[in-house]
Amino acid sequence: MTKPKISSDWLAGCAGCHMSLLDIDERIVEIAELADLRSTPVTDLKEPDESGVDVGILEGGVNNTANEEVAHKFRKRCKLLVAFGDCAVFGGVPAMRNMFTLEEALRRAYVETESTDENGKIPDDPELAQMTRVRALNEVVPVDIHVPGCPPDPDVIYYVLSELAQGRIPEIKGDKLHWH
Amino acid sequence: MKAYRSMVLVSNDPGSIQAGAQDVLTTLQQEIKAFGLEDEISVSTVSDVGRHDAVPMVVVYPEAVIYGPVTKQDVHYLVEEHLYKGRIASALQAPARELSGRIAWLQNRKGTLPAEQRIVLERAGLIDPDSLDDYLLHDGFVALGKALTEMTPADVIAELEKSGLRGRGGAGFPTGTKWKFVSRTNSPKKYVVCNADESEPGTFKDRLILEGDPFSIVEAMAIAAYAVGADEGIIYVRGEYTLAQERLKSAIQQARNYGLLGDHLFGTDFSFNMSVHAGAGAYICGEETALIESIEGKRGEPRARPPYPTTHGLWGKPTLVNNVETLANVPPILRHGAAWYRKFGTPSSPGTKVYTIMGNVNLTGLIEVPMGITLREVVSIYAKGMKPGSTFKLAQTGGSSGSIIPASLQDTPMDFDSFAKTGVSLGSGALLICDEETCVVDLAKVLLNFFRKESCGKCNPCRIGNQRAYEILTNISEGIGSLKDLDDLNMLSEYLYQLSNCGLGQTAGTPLRDTLQYFRAEVEAHIRLKVCPAGVCPMSGKKH
Amino acid sequence: MTTVTIDGKQIEVPEGTTVLRAAQMAGISIPTLCDHPELTPYGGCRLCLVEVEGARTMQPSCTLPVSPNMVVHTDTQKVRDARKFVLTLIFSERNHFCMYCQVSGGDCELQNAAYREGMTHWPLQPNWQPFAVDASHPYFVLDNNRCILCRRCVRACSELVGNHTLGFEERGARSFLVADLGVPMGESTCVACGTCLQVCPTGALIDRQSAYRGKETQVETTASVCAGCSVGCAMNVLTRDNHLVRIESNWEGPVNGGLLCEIGRFAQQMEEHERISTPLVRKNGSLKAATWQEALDVIASRVRPLSGANGVAALASTRLPVEALSAFKQIFADGLESDMVTSLEEGASTAAAFKLANEMGRPFEGKLGDLANADLVLVFDADVTKLHEVASFFFKRNLQAGTNLVVVDRNENELDRLGIPVKALRGSQAEMLEALTAAKSGQPLDIHEVKTGVPAGKLALVGELLRDAQNPVIVYGNVDGADLKSLLALAGTAKVLGVKGAANSFAGALLGLEKPFQLNGHQAVFVALGDDEPSQRLVKKLTGAPFLAVQASYASQLTAQADVVLPVQNWAEQDGHYVNLDGHIQAAHKAITVPEDVRSNAAALEDLAACLGITISGNWREQLCQRVSAAALEG
Repeated sequence: MTKPKISSDWLAGCAGCHMSLLDIDERIVEIAELADLRSTPVTDLKEPDESGVDVGILEGGVNNTANEEVAHKFRKRCKLLVAFGDCAVFGGVPAMRNMFTLEEALRRAYVETESTDENGKIPDDPELAQMTRVRALNEVVPVDIHVPGCPPDPDVIYYVLSELAQGRIPEIKGDKLHWH
Repeated sequence: MKAYRSMVLVSNDPGSIQAGAQDVLTTLQQEIKAFGLEDEISVSTVSDVGRHDAVPMVVVYPEAVIYGPVTKQDVHYLVEEHLYKGRIASALQAPARELSGRIAWLQNRKGTLPAEQRIVLERAGLIDPDSLDDYLLHDGFVALGKALTEMTPADVIAELEKSGLRGRGGAGFPTGTKWKFVSRTNSPKKYVVCNADESEPGTFKDRLILEGDPFSIVEAMAIAAYAVGADEGIIYVRGEYTLAQERLKSAIQQARNYGLLGDHLFGTDFSFNMSVHAGAGAYICGEETALIESIEGKRGEPRARPPYPTTHGLWGKPTLVNNVETLANVPPILRHGAAWYRKFGTPSSPGTKVYTIMGNVNLTGLIEVPMGITLREVVSIYAKGMKPGSTFKLAQTGGSSGSIIPASLQDTPMDFDSFAKTGVSLGSGALLICDEETCVVDLAKVLLNFFRKESCGKCNPCRIGNQRAYEILTNISEGIGSLKDLDDLNMLSEYLYQLSNCGLGQTAGTPLRDTLQYFRAEVEAHIRLKVCPAGVCPMSGKKH
Repeated sequence: MTTVTIDGKQIEVPEGTTVLRAAQMAGISIPTLCDHPELTPYGGCRLCLVEVEGARTMQPSCTLPVSPNMVVHTDTQKVRDARKFVLTLIFSERNHFCMYCQVSGGDCELQNAAYREGMTHWPLQPNWQPFAVDASHPYFVLDNNRCILCRRCVRACSELVGNHTLGFEERGARSFLVADLGVPMGESTCVACGTCLQVCPTGALIDRQSAYRGKETQVETTASVCAGCSVGCAMNVLTRDNHLVRIESNWEGPVNGGLLCEIGRFAQQMEEHERISTPLVRKNGSLKAATWQEALDVIASRVRPLSGANGVAALASTRLPVEALSAFKQIFADGLESDMVTSLEEGASTAAAFKLANEMGRPFEGKLGDLANADLVLVFDADVTKLHEVASFFFKRNLQAGTNLVVVDRNENELDRLGIPVKALRGSQAEMLEALTAAKSGQPLDIHEVKTGVPAGKLALVGELLRDAQNPVIVYGNVDGADLKSLLALAGTAKVLGVKGAANSFAGALLGLEKPFQLNGHQAVFVALGDDEPSQRLVKKLTGAPFLAVQASYASQLTAQADVVLPVQNWAEQDGHYVNLDGHIQAAHKAITVPEDVRSNAAALEDLAACLGITISGNWREQLCQRVSAAALEG
């Protein structure tokens, strides 16, 4: 039997969910034995195999066109797509900016910050991704499994990974379900 | 009463008043005096005549000639030509085209339209609404007199039950049964409330009754109070209906002066007083329990039911709440008997229904026709067909909570039961006739925009559901919808019905449901092809 | 009784019971948000929807009364789906993002409900409409973005407190919570009782002081009694790591039924004072730290020789627990036989009542509970809003339902605007009572108009109200001996209720601590101040006392001029009992542990007694029973 392939990436988030993933400590070896860990933000391989992988895990909300592209690529190449952490599930902390207009948010970030001098300027290089409203992953592509948490607890992550690695769909409920 | 050779009516709706109707009336009276005609010609005002393109209007009987717009300066010529010399002053005649409501009825009297049947509007437009004498001359208070002197309260209710009258506010609940519920309660204090908070978009039937025949409601409420054992009545009138409020207040005062309201009416032990309560502009206050909260001075939010107002209504007392049109049916029923009433309409929905016709038809306005007439008949006969070059696409009934009726259901008789069988609703009696230029997504969006703004905000499904549905429709109309949106809309529509606290929320999903049921292909075109087939939606592809 | 079947269980419940309560009685749990056991059912959130056989649509169990042979299903797939949908809608409405909320993680009923339904996400998205946050209130913050519009706060404000400050502005999705007609909360008619905070299911109304300082799962809860006034509100003191986090009311409280006022909930804990943490003894003109033994020895050596009538004058705060007051009385009145043993209040609000009760030989006052059922409340020269505010809630909330309020007070009274103010322009209290008595019995009132300056018409109206009331209650404040008798005569069958001073005024009076204070050749003064604040008047009177010993929690002008200071615990740190204004005896428990050097008020006095060789009894209940009580003792 071939080991299931798992890929992950992060979008608009803080990388905290991946840090929490690393917090499963030595149990990651167990996962590595059960599954074939392919592309992740902390490995050399940067995107899921074109031939497809079994599980795709995305952290973070979708806040620009580059994120959209990654989301679509993952959806296309992954049999199961996991929204990983509150930002991917609901929009999370980045989504706080949805309460303002894009213009207001960009001004605050690039022009009005306390450390910005009078040359502060909103980046406008056409090569840059276009900013959008911050969306939950399921607003952009269909999502199969939602693992909320800010970040999800390492024990929950371990449970989710080991279930997926063994070909089972994890059930997030009871003690495993938390949004904070 | 003195016999007059001619009767002149001056339109007196808010539009006419603004356009100088009062001046026209005064000048008219002066001119008639000047010509020495005051003994031959009666002058009075009349409510809205159903068109606003040529106000103020002057109607002269028995010829039923309509003049308009008439200015103060025109009056001398008009009196001289028509009333003195007996020639129609054709230069002043209102444009003949675009006849509507009231005018359509005048035409009908001359036999040009098939049988319109006037029961609730029997006097509207015929009498001076501010004159109790006029009302009395037209069989006014005959029904109340009959009820008080010849019938027991139980007889009145029995007659009403026999007549088969059903509520005209939208739900079609048997009126006699409702009266019986209230009459059965054992409370020393009961109320009768007339729901005149007519706020369904496109509906103005109640306003015409209130402005044109206010005494009929006063009389009907007194009858209702006698039947259910109440001694106090309140007419809750939509805030914007200022003329109706004035007319009602004046009618109540006149009736009181004549001893037709107050203590020991018709020499019996029955006493009844009533007052007018003006709404403050909230659509939701047309819902009977929200209306009651509003009268009590609270925020207009519907109560949980049960208990129903029939047992726990205004100030916790048993309360009868009836719509204006429903009440207007009561005096004729008592005067002529239930058997007479059952001659009109269908066996399950006897009587007539007042419709307000709008949209792309040749003749818009107000008609009163027997129940059971079909939509096709309304469009082709009363509305004189679709406007040239347009074809019927759908009709929206009963204001916003009504149904969307596709062409395929045009031949369904318009009565409570036939409509219920086809899953559509009669609503409040507005008929918005739309042609192929109308986009269903846009129509649904307009309706949902209304609901999301008018939801009281008490219960979650209605407050949030309408808002979400409106946003989803906006996305679809701008070309950024997804097929998942259709599932969401279906879910919202179903849950709005299942979970909402009152009729507003429960019916708010109807336009969504009907749109998706009858026009799904058109909605899908917005999503799949990013095209609005009717060319109405912006389809800007703009993201929010 | 009505028989209903819920989830296959047949149960009998009283008629009129709602389906929700019936289910709860049968041990079936239905999730709710807008429901609160202390408030009238509202039916807004729709989370409690159930399937009722024969009904056209799903029904809210919180407002639906049972009907005979009703068959209800609370756990079908249809119901579970509907609940998820309702929660989805709520989460999609405003900023219900748990990661930045202070109640997340156990204190949020919305989050808990979602966990219960196993929601990992919500399928509908919010429209990100922000609302302004109102942080103008000194004690709490209103964040409409967190609000689920359940109206619990609005109902609490009107139904429980009778203040009607909170309400909703706008319609539909734009509805939002406002104070009064949309003024900032801090400038509104809010009386800062904080009931709204306690009933808010989400983070929409949060306590400034305790926000982010401890979730319910992280705090310890200690049952206590408010020492703010003599109403005796039961409350819970929430602490974390021995720090006071916040105070919540206890819905089971026998007197207050879950209400607190600004003083009870917020003010007491906001006060900052310099603590006294070690015994102090004056040496060479200045106060120096000492051991307990040293300090007690100094007091004993000065006091022991002064046994007898004008030897030692002693004063105690009526904020002290009964245990301490009882020990105090036994040491100074019984042991040292001093003629000047009293309380800091000097019986100002109790002496007349207790004197009358002892003359009559029976309690004559009613109970606070009478206020809740009163159809007429006559307030006679009593301030029931500054202090004793919770007592005012009991009738304020009934005013809309028809309870009449008459306020007889020549001074400005906050209740004036809510009732019929009767303001004497001249004349004495006795003349006002005469006038009211005449009015009640329907006598001519012209002469009384002359005497009091109150229009005869108004007097007649009050008289009529007094005659017609079925359950009238008279609340009186400072009324002297003879006048109190007239007041009682005026009352007739009406219940009378006197507001007392501090938390244990009533106990102080029972122990006889109610003399006017006078220094009359006394050679030493002992003040059991506890956590009370000394008045300027007292400080002045005691200036130049030959010897002054004070037991106190906080440094004050009084401790500064003392010769010995004993450090004692405050209200939150000691166990003890309080007797409230209508005779309820209630226990307060220690919520915070302090260093050993700071002793409880009772312990300090017991130690002093031991040092003086005076035997005292710990049976304070017996001590309380030596006088006839103004109101029957309970508990």
